Amino acid sequence: MTVPADSAILPPGIAWALLAAFSVLWVALGWYLGRNNKTAEDHMLAGRNVGLALATATAMATWVTANTTMTAPQLALQLGVWGMFGYSLGALGLILFAPLARRIRELMPHGFTSGDFIRLRFGKFTWRVFLVVSLIYAFGWLVSLAMAGGVLINALSGIDYRVGMTIILTVCVLYTLLGGLRAVIGTDFVQTIIIILGVAFIAWLTIDKVGFEAIHFNLMEERPELLNLLFPAAIMFLFNNLLFGVGEIFHSNVWWSRAFAFGRSVGFRAYLLAGLLWLPIPIVAGFVALATPALGINVPVADMVGPLVAAEVLGLTGAIVVFIVVFAALASSLDSLLAATSDLVTRDIYRGHIRPRASEQEQFRATKVMIVLLGLLTWAAASYRGEIPVVGSLAAVLYFTGAFVASAIWPVVAGLYWRKTNPMGAALGMIAGTGLGLVGYFAIGFYVAALIGAAVSLAVILLFTWLAPREFDWSRLAEAEPRNGAMANGGVP
Amino acid sequence: MSLAILCLLCLAPVGIAADSVGFGTTPERDRAGFFALEWHGAERYELEQATGPAHEDARILYRGPDAGTLISGLPNGEYRFRIRAEGDEAWSDSTVVIVEHHGLGRAFLFFLLGAGVFTVLILAIAAGRRLA
Repeated sequence: MTVPADSAILPPGIAWALLAAFSVLWVALGWYLGRNNKTAEDHMLAGRNVGLALATATAMATWVTANTTMTAPQLALQLGVWGMFGYSLGALGLILFAPLARRIRELMPHGFTSGDFIRLRFGKFTWRVFLVVSLIYAFGWLVSLAMAGGVLINALSGIDYRVGMTIILTVCVLYTLLGGLRAVIGTDFVQTIIIILGVAFIAWLTIDKVGFEAIHFNLMEERPELLNLLFPAAIMFLFNNLLFGVGEIFHSNVWWSRAFAFGRSVGFRAYLLAGLLWLPIPIVAGFVALATPALGINVPVADMVGPLVAAEVLGLTGAIVVFIVVFAALASSLDSLLAATSDLVTRDIYRGHIRPRASEQEQFRATKVMIVLLGLLTWAAASYRGEIPVVGSLAAVLYFTGAFVASAIWPVVAGLYWRKTNPMGAALGMIAGTGLGLVGYFAIGFYVAALIGAAVSLAVILLFTWLAPREFDWSRLAEAEPRNGAMANGGVP
Repeated sequence: MSLAILCLLCLAPVGIAADSVGFGTTPERDRAGFFALEWHGAERYELEQATGPAHEDARILYRGPDAGTLISGLPNGEYRFRIRAEGDEAWSDSTVVIVEHHGLGRAFLFFLLGAGVFTVLILAIAAGRRLA
């Protein structure tokens, strides 16, 4: 379902001008920042020496995404105040990753991807299971971000969903292609400033124009369960969302590549600060949706609620601010995900399974080819929004991946901290957790999939490790780049 | 005979409107607490919500060009919705959705399960370096 052009708040002319201006800005920045990239390591890890300010900004901007700016309002409208607060618990993913980032940097000074860790720690089979989990998640997130771009542009300007989605995706592919992680981190810094200022402005104007009393009164009259602290689905959602966020961050190469790229003592502080800065953003973004009854706004599709309400409350200026903020938020995540996923595919599939002795230059080229291929695949899937069951709304796509990522929490945590973790237990934990999590997704709802996935995965790993503990020598993790060029422990087919 | 034809002619537009404006697929039962309604058949619509079969407590939920809406925040109960083209007299057939939230027992079971997993996670990370 789309918003017709005649009922959109932003005139198409302004929308096209904004799209053009920011597209040129991001692509130019990408080219400028990445002009000195010469090797795959430059392109993938920005020279492994990113400082605290850029590191904090990129971690926060990447985590402020379609999830935060558009799914948080959707969840507030569907699950009420717990939906909104529950969403902010996603900050714990960043905060808890802070000690992990430090340990990752200590254990793997030459590491490139999260796949490197799983391969060295648990061996081939678990590595391949992990790659399936990680790539399904990355693809789901990419599709949800591309969808969010199309929804945003359509909701605000009436420009066709597919046209808007195609433009945002193309811009992000272009500048990631040109600049690699260095460009991603640089643009993230600019985008963080835009996001913080924009969200603060929108929140201030919304409260000023609508007021708490009117919002509360109308919710009690028309949608009283949204204020009910014993809203059952919302209670089930709380820890589900927390564990989903933890699973997303702990396993994804988006965050591992940053742990490798940040300076040696930077990762811990950067992730901690980014989590604390991110915490209030979903509450502010979600709160806007609760004003829907007070404003008498119809929400035709759940994931349009944020842009629709903000634009309605704030008028043309507000629509422009929302457009810029969400465009920045989407771009900051899409680029990170494109970069990190292409690294994972290049490193763990191309080099790990197809050409183990690929040279630096071959890897560099392969990374760029992967970025383009990922962009094309994402475009194809996002084109079918509403026509494929799981590609229904942003939340539906996103939480479908919850079962996958939450089942990967324990292989990462147990792999980093427990010397005797059983490798087969790690693999089976991901398989069983994902399987039963998906059963929960379809049988109960999206708000339990990650929770079931994490609980089952924990139980399986504990059981296998208790029955058959396997000693591990931590020093083996430092062997990510052996002297002969071939990948250690299972990299050669 | 001519009176009958006249009556049919008078009813015809109403009949056509009632037939052409209607809902798409709607859920019969909602456990999550939110669901979508979609409709079709006109350029502008009126959507009505009621709780009883006779629509005594009906209220207009929406009036405008959109072809769908998200319903959320309703307590347990039986809700009836009907739609018509704005300005028409005739309504579509009612579509009935029964809102029956998950039980609190099930909700707290998942809450406790989540709290347990989270506690183990915190302990694992906090004690991790020492154990390693």
